[in-house]
Amino acid sequence: MPRHVACVMDGNGRWAQRRSLPRTAGHRAAETTVIDIIEAARAAGVEWLSLYAFSTENWNRPGAEVDYLMRLVRRVVRKHAPLLLARGIRCRFLGAADPRIPRELAQDFDALATLTAGNRGMTLTVAFDHGGRRDIVEAARSLIRSGTPADEVTERLFADHLPFPDTPDVDLVIRTSGEQRISNFMLWQVAYAEWVFPDVLWPDFRAPDFLTCLHIYRHRDRRFGGVPPRTNGDPS
Amino acid sequence: MTTGTTGTADEKPLFGPESQFRAFFDDPRWALAVIRATVLEAAHPQIGAALADNSTFVAHPWRRLRNTFLSMRRMFDADPAVREREAARLNRLHARMSGTDARGRGYDAMDRATRAWVVATLYESAVTMCRLSGQPLDQDTMERMYAEYRSFLAALDGDAEELPEDLNDFWRYFDRVVEDELENTEAARIILYRLFDHLPAPALLDGAPTLWAVGRAVVGPLLGAITVASLPEPYRRKSGLPEMPGAATLMQGAYLAAGLTRFLPEGWINPQTVIQTLTLPPDSDDPRARTATALRARMKRASALLRLLTPLSTDTGPDPAPADSAATGEGRRPAEEFFRQVLDQTGDGHLDWPDLAAMARELATRLDLDEPEETRLYDAFAAWWRELQTALDTDGDGRVSADEYAAAVPSLAGPALIRVAEVLFDVTDKDGSGTIDADEHRALFRTAFHRDLTTTEGSYGRSAFVGEFLSFMSGRRRNTAYDPLLADA
Repeated sequence: MPRHVACVMDGNGRWAQRRSLPRTAGHRAAETTVIDIIEAARAAGVEWLSLYAFSTENWNRPGAEVDYLMRLVRRVVRKHAPLLLARGIRCRFLGAADPRIPRELAQDFDALATLTAGNRGMTLTVAFDHGGRRDIVEAARSLIRSGTPADEVTERLFADHLPFPDTPDVDLVIRTSGEQRISNFMLWQVAYAEWVFPDVLWPDFRAPDFLTCLHIYRHRDRRFGGVPPRTNGDPS
Repeated sequence: MTTGTTGTADEKPLFGPESQFRAFFDDPRWALAVIRATVLEAAHPQIGAALADNSTFVAHPWRRLRNTFLSMRRMFDADPAVREREAARLNRLHARMSGTDARGRGYDAMDRATRAWVVATLYESAVTMCRLSGQPLDQDTMERMYAEYRSFLAALDGDAEELPEDLNDFWRYFDRVVEDELENTEAARIILYRLFDHLPAPALLDGAPTLWAVGRAVVGPLLGAITVASLPEPYRRKSGLPEMPGAATLMQGAYLAAGLTRFLPEGWINPQTVIQTLTLPPDSDDPRARTATALRARMKRASALLRLLTPLSTDTGPDPAPADSAATGEGRRPAEEFFRQVLDQTGDGHLDWPDLAAMARELATRLDLDEPEETRLYDAFAAWWRELQTALDTDGDGRVSADEYAAAVPSLAGPALIRVAEVLFDVTDKDGSGTIDADEHRALFRTAFHRDLTTTEGSYGRSAFVGEFLSFMSGRRRNTAYDPLLADA
């Protein structure tokens, strides 16, 4: 069972276009999937779930769509806060530093994080206004500010300066809609992740699809850069 | 001058643990009765003027409540020396309060007739509280309690001549003052209408503004209505206070309910614990601070939930206002906020002598100063006030407005302020050792030393102390030990 699963929620726009609906309708339909997947992951025993909700590059989308997304996210956060609390899910928001994020939304993020901070069930990290490179740059800045001598910098030490340093490495990334890209997502943490690319679009993605992905993961042979056990012959 | 009054050594066992006076201390009804008594006091033109000018109860009600409560505890201490000392302290404190009200009439907190009225309102409110909650006192108890209150006044004033000797005459005296002397003063209006609606959160709930605001929005008007309904009818008529349908029932219900708590197990309601927990600063090293911190975390969570559950207003478009916290540099607060939280102690929107006097009073109370140290501290603050007035009062109206302050912030650290810091150091350093040790630090700040760099080997030197004080007062630095001392509500 993967400890940390991350989802890149791709395909909302295409889902809407195939139905001749505005792109915003696709985002709205994504809400159901999000809740479904959170529940499925929790029930399956996943300890860490990360969702890529909004990237630093997404600010380049049309203004109206961004505005709509902000309002939608705020509504979703407020609507499901009691459920998340009751389910024992600890929520936090990765990124969310841009001043373009409406103040009320940022306050709601803070409120939800405060509310669920004591929960010990699954940890849900929502990457909102997130960029993997930006996090690494921030970590480097923080490292330099702390005055660590260059020789002492190790991978472990560097990781301690990333946002939410308690987050373990991602074991499995699910990217829906068949796209096969990383898109600047949690670059440091996905170093050894297995990737699964279901063809289904995110609004159509459901708990059974999620479980299929977990199943695929379990049959992968993870080697972390080493060699497969019991190979024939001597690799050296 | 309000509820925090006096009573000294008296050979009669009136202040013993069995007195009626003391029995009400732990009675929740007493809270309602004290609010009522305070309104009746504030309605007296002399007291009203003194309150409006000098009192910090609008800006720092919780600190004020705590001080009053501790003062009353000391006044009823079993040890006569403690009582005597507290009476002397209160007399000194009130002797510094005199002036003229808005209509040019003089007031003096040492006026004997006025002080008698304070005691009279407390006595009458105690009797009324029992009546309203359906447990009227019998004649004997009333007489005995009256004698207690008279000796309380005698402890403060030397004798109780200003209150009639006989209880029957007292009721005539009380009705006469209500009919003839009480007015619809500004102070009474503030207590009834402004205080409860704007009551700042106590330290415990500081992290949960939403929760506090919601609770206050419900409880504030209720408390106001309950208090109005419990005031004597002639006063309500004279001041044009509203008669609200059902208010009388509500008021009696509240008194009754508060009275019923006497059936709770002993120790469930202990006002001392409640008040001290409410006003405990977050970083205090008091053993109860852990509980308070846990409680505060819970409050924060409840507040967050409440925030998330409040329905969205229909128009929630993106707000163009950027994060406003970015403008305030590290650990500094905007001039306006510093003015409101620290300088304007009386909460009237201006910096005036009573504001600085209130600071001196708070420091003197904390350090439990006697003469001549207390006068030295007041004198230093008075010199500082003259310096501020000269430097900041540009329009010459005798006081400093928030705008005048904001325009001239850098000139705040003059020689007189440095002098204040030095005197404060001297009086804090009780043993005259030249350094402030852990106990002396605790007396002033109620915490142990902070784990920062200002202390060397468990003591606090003069220059470090003066530097800290100046950086708080002029550099407007946050998070120093002075914040809970002067800025907390």
